[in-house]
Amino acid sequence: MFILGGVVLYFLSGMVDELRVYQGATIAVYVIAISSIILLTGYSGQVSLGHGALMAVGAYAAAVLRIEFNLPIILCFVVAVLAAAIGGALLGAAAARLSGPYLAGTTLALAIGLPSLANQFAVLGGEQGLLFDVGFPPLALGEDFTQYKWFFWIAALAALISMWVVRNLLSSAYGRAWRAGRGNEVAAQLAGINTARSKVLAFTISAGIAGLAGALLAMTIGTVSPSAFPLALSFSLLTGAVLSGITTLGGVIIGAVVLVAIPEIADVVAHRLGSSESVTTNLPGLIVSGLLILTVLFVPNGPVEQHRARKAKHAAQHASSKKDKH
Amino acid sequence: MQLLNTLLIGITAGSIYALMAIAFVLVWRSTRVVNFAQAGMALLSTYFGYEAVSRIGSFWVALPVAMIGGALFAALVELILMRLLVKHASSGPIAGVAPIIATLGLLGVIRSVISMIWGGQDLRIVAPISNNGFTINGSTLVFSPLKLLVLVVVAVLLILLTILFQKTNLGLALRASAHAPEIARLSGVRVDSVRTLGWALAGAAGAVAGLFQTVNGNGNFSPDSIEFSLLLVSGFIAAVIGGLDSLLGAVLGGLFLGITISFVLMYVSSGLFFIAPFIILLIVLFIRPQGIIGVKAGRRA
Repeated sequence: MFILGGVVLYFLSGMVDELRVYQGATIAVYVIAISSIILLTGYSGQVSLGHGALMAVGAYAAAVLRIEFNLPIILCFVVAVLAAAIGGALLGAAAARLSGPYLAGTTLALAIGLPSLANQFAVLGGEQGLLFDVGFPPLALGEDFTQYKWFFWIAALAALISMWVVRNLLSSAYGRAWRAGRGNEVAAQLAGINTARSKVLAFTISAGIAGLAGALLAMTIGTVSPSAFPLALSFSLLTGAVLSGITTLGGVIIGAVVLVAIPEIADVVAHRLGSSESVTTNLPGLIVSGLLILTVLFVPNGPVEQHRARKAKHAAQHASSKKDKH
Repeated sequence: MQLLNTLLIGITAGSIYALMAIAFVLVWRSTRVVNFAQAGMALLSTYFGYEAVSRIGSFWVALPVAMIGGALFAALVELILMRLLVKHASSGPIAGVAPIIATLGLLGVIRSVISMIWGGQDLRIVAPISNNGFTINGSTLVFSPLKLLVLVVVAVLLILLTILFQKTNLGLALRASAHAPEIARLSGVRVDSVRTLGWALAGAAGAVAGLFQTVNGNGNFSPDSIEFSLLLVSGFIAAVIGGLDSLLGAVLGGLFLGITISFVLMYVSSGLFFIAPFIILLIVLFIRPQGIIGVKAGRRA
């Protein structure tokens, strides 16, 4: 199925214009980042508002290696995953002792604090940040193979691989242990699950995936700087995860597309209404936040899960009405 | 002299954090929700205060206007958002994270609406009295009349709040609904209204914190100002240090945090401004996870 998806994406990328290809790359990056949140929050039950910071860790790790040692790009991405995973393991060790709002607050403090560290060390380039250049697409792909298309290919491939990994993880014994711990920690412990270790593991893996997303985001922007990883990024990832249905990996593309599409939609709406500039620039933020609240209130488990539940209910009703006839 | 200065700066900043922490504690006690929109509400109240200053011209009018505006808005949020949340999202896998997500969404909505109404640029509230330090024996302290004012106002508010909680029937109802809502309801306390009141008090406390954070800084504020993100984090951390359930704990937590940050910035490195709160929080959570005052079970929310 994932291979099929890859083939479809390959043909699509040949047909649309540059802007759409770039947006496609951004969507792929969001897919990765959101799946890391779904793994952590939806399955393991831990809330992180600091995934933007973990993405920054991955991005800086990749950029520093690229600049200082000129490593091949694939190695940079691997290191980005490892660096963020180490950061996630440290954070997860603290997080396993916390729950709910405490964890949210702690990771929030991290998200605000960490990017400022970039100004402390010269190697990280301060406010301006670092250049992150993955290089031109290989010549073998032809003359008219553009840079953005190359970004899209890398990001889409990474997205497919990470979705495959996450999917398998979630349906493995680890995934079951996470869900058990989320549902009832004491019962999970009675069943022989080391919930503390399982939580740290979830945090580590989630952070690693976020690190990959960070490095890919840096690739599409071309630079790594503190301003590329604001608090708002962490928030919009959470929004994307909630919109996707936080307990269903299958909906992840919904959240990613919505996050990329909202600024465009808001732009169109604002122009139709002929509103002032301050409205235009802030409409996307308002829509994202408003959607977040409405989703939590009215479709708390996300559209995919809601649809599935409705179908199940419908089927049950159908079955019972059949029974009545007999 | 430097030691004294550092201490006084810390106490002033800490008393503002304490107010914010009190707002967190009041909301937590009334609805068991950590309100991540608290800083957004404080920011909105600061804009209310700004409107009052620019129309009437007096900071002393702006302060109560901001407090009343903040209280009304917070009460409205509790009435609409929180009650819907309890109704729709209090079960299922998302129940534990729904309040966090909803209040974050609210934070985003508040920020966007503020930027739409007032624009994204810096606005300015001028401090009512001088922020130039007192001079003692020819040397100038960092401690100023303004900082003294902040301390006095915060102290007065704390005393009023203590009287409310300890000496009045309303305070008794507030405490009863926090500790045992079911029993309070059986005893004839209108728990729902008391919850709304808890939010309103928090809104007012946050409004004062927002105004003072602004005038105690350089007087500028904007929807994106980092001051308010810092206020959010510092207030939360102060509340956690204090155990999240205790008003006294919130005050002690705020002062402790303010003084510690002030010393770290002075004697370790001023570049740690943003990361210091995080490190302090981690240390506190590892050493004393139940807070300064607080029961051990309270940490498992």
